[in-house]
Amino acid sequence: MSSIATERQQAAAPPAAAEHPPRRRLSRKHREWIAAGLFLLPDGLGLSVFVILPMFFSIVLSFFQVSGFGSYEWIGLGNYERMFNDPYFWSSMWVTAKYVVIMVPVLFVVSLGLGILMKQKLPGMAVYRTALFMPYMLSLVVAGLLWKFMFDEQTGVANKIVGAFGISPQSWLGDPSLALYSVILVTVWYMMGYYMIIFLAGLNEIPKEYYEAAKIDGASPWTSFRKITWPLLRPTSFFVLIMTTVAAITGTFDLVYSLTAGGPANGTAVAMFYIYQQAFVFGEYGYASALGTFLVLIMVVLSWVIFKLTKGGRFDDGE
Amino acid sequence: MLRHGKGAVAPSRRRILGGAAGLAAAGATGPLVSGCGGPAKAEGGTLKFWHFYDSASSDPAMRGQAKWFDDVIRDWNATHDVKVEPFFVPGTSYQGSKMVTAFASGTGPDIFLLSPGDFLRYQNGGILADLTPHMDRAAVADYGTSLTSRVVEGKVYALPMEVEPLAIFYNVRNWEKAGLSEADIPTTWDGLLDAGDKLRAKGGGAGLVFETDPGYYQNFTWYCWMWQGGGDVLDKDGNVTFDSKAARQGLSLWQDAVRHGIAPRTKPAAGDQLSAFKAGQAGMWQSGIWMVNTFKVGAPELEYGVFKLPTPPGGRYSTAVGGWSFCASTQSSNPDAAAEFCGWALGRMNKKSVDRTVSWCTGVKSDVSPRASALKAATAKGGYDSWAMKKFKNEIFPGGRPEPRYPPVVYKAVSDAIQATMLGGKGVASEADRAAQTIEAYMKSYQGASLI
Repeated sequence: MSSIATERQQAAAPPAAAEHPPRRRLSRKHREWIAAGLFLLPDGLGLSVFVILPMFFSIVLSFFQVSGFGSYEWIGLGNYERMFNDPYFWSSMWVTAKYVVIMVPVLFVVSLGLGILMKQKLPGMAVYRTALFMPYMLSLVVAGLLWKFMFDEQTGVANKIVGAFGISPQSWLGDPSLALYSVILVTVWYMMGYYMIIFLAGLNEIPKEYYEAAKIDGASPWTSFRKITWPLLRPTSFFVLIMTTVAAITGTFDLVYSLTAGGPANGTAVAMFYIYQQAFVFGEYGYASALGTFLVLIMVVLSWVIFKLTKGGRFDDGE
Repeated sequence: MLRHGKGAVAPSRRRILGGAAGLAAAGATGPLVSGCGGPAKAEGGTLKFWHFYDSASSDPAMRGQAKWFDDVIRDWNATHDVKVEPFFVPGTSYQGSKMVTAFASGTGPDIFLLSPGDFLRYQNGGILADLTPHMDRAAVADYGTSLTSRVVEGKVYALPMEVEPLAIFYNVRNWEKAGLSEADIPTTWDGLLDAGDKLRAKGGGAGLVFETDPGYYQNFTWYCWMWQGGGDVLDKDGNVTFDSKAARQGLSLWQDAVRHGIAPRTKPAAGDQLSAFKAGQAGMWQSGIWMVNTFKVGAPELEYGVFKLPTPPGGRYSTAVGGWSFCASTQSSNPDAAAEFCGWALGRMNKKSVDRTVSWCTGVKSDVSPRASALKAATAKGGYDSWAMKKFKNEIFPGGRPEPRYPPVVYKAVSDAIQATMLGGKGVASEADRAAQTIEAYMKSYQGASLI
């Protein structure tokens, strides 16, 4: 018995160290890579399932004629050809262009102004910051419904305010010449708090010493802004410009849907709303996918233009 | 490698874990890709019935209507092996993206509610199951013309649960403030605009509210004004007749009402007629019979009146009649049972089937019954004894015409004409012509069930 036990113990014994080299421990760099990968995994999975896969399917779908309920017919570039001959789509692109050209600069200036204002050390700033950020916590549809009441022709607060200045009541959402501006106003109100925080973070990154030195040199607040704040805020400005442009093109659907449903007389029918209509009202999934793909291309081009104009947000001239 | 029998290779732990992960991913991504966020199709022996009546709503009327659905389903489940389960979908997403994406990805409901405006889209898409084999032949006759817009080549594809005619509701408080009496109830378009003008000037609210948001509902509320002048989008032979005097006249009525400030450009109280009437913000409002129950439950003290749509010179009274229907999906894992449910619930001649329609139309809601027998039974039970229901049944409904079942391109052309003239101030002649040309171009290549 004992000899058998000894044999077993010998068999179970770990191999001699000399026969097997010791296991190498992972380097710190590798361990960091693995940790980073694990942290990024959930987000990566979400991005793949919710963004990359649908985008891929959408591009594939844009080459098909889809009945809406399961029948697919390959039509190659047919949907794109149709897009170039669709006056309603180009009309919606024109509305989108107006929206972007007005909304982006206004939102940029208002958010930057608020960011600078909120950086001042004045009593109650935390409360104001919270109050300004609050709209962003709402869903866009809820924000739209709230403003629908505020824009009411008879009882809305908007007409009460303009009435105080002797202006006659307006149909903010029912007049084609006003409706788009009303939607822009709500968008700016909704988003300014978020971009104010982004600018505030950018402003906090600028060392105080620069301003103190400028003050000693006798620079005015405007000169300090022009020579210190504006150039050092370039990376933040680049980020905000890209984000607001993309938001203006893609993020308008909920507001338009809840405020005006694309009306009056297609006055607020932005491209995103038209794509929604094609897909979910008309059941034209293939055509809607082609329009969506085209819109993504437009956004890529616009982002590239902004990148070039702002030198990618670099502090220097890139030389 | 052996796959069956004793010689099968036992799977390794890694294989089992990998397989489980794959199954979990497939299970998770299925509904995600479809965008439904939950199982909808029949699982095992259960059929999903999608509706938009919220049993947890703060509105007691809505809760009562949700209970009606629960009761119907409970009765079915008590007597059938294949069970039905209700599935609530909020109204906005029900008619928006939820249902279409679900069907497009093969995860649509087994049984669902459908409006006439959407009928052709689903019918042409092959989604609607034939309900005829599950109905009593006498029940088809009992429904009569209520089925017209739900029939294709003699087969019934949707069973209406209600009939909802449109009329003009007026607010007695505003009416009296404007110095109007019952004798001033208009019977002509000019009279309607005059009354609206007085209400706007003296009643303190909007004179006359027409639907302002573009959509199927706006078209539904506008068609009747065109019909009154003898016009139509398509004639009996399918020819496009939209560019007509009657259509231009109908477009002009809404344009004039807005241009003269009688009709507001947006609806008061964000479109909530009950709140607007309670607050005196509107004098008249074009709306449907469903408002009778809404007023009864939400504002029993409110004094209101209702009258049938006035007519143009030389015109003939007409109103549009809408209402939702039960449908079964061909994509269901058990389409036969789903169709049988619809037929069993609303399409039989037995007392229970008729009583369901009676309780829906005159108990939990206010509608005209789509079935002759149910209308008779509801009348006998006093469902139409109230002044408002009596008026709808005897005066307003008889001139009713079912909501058309036009495909999206036709709807959009008409919608653009209404919006451009009413709110965009464009010429009625040019817009009617443009819409007619769009519809005509579309009809040349249209393939599908008849639009008439």
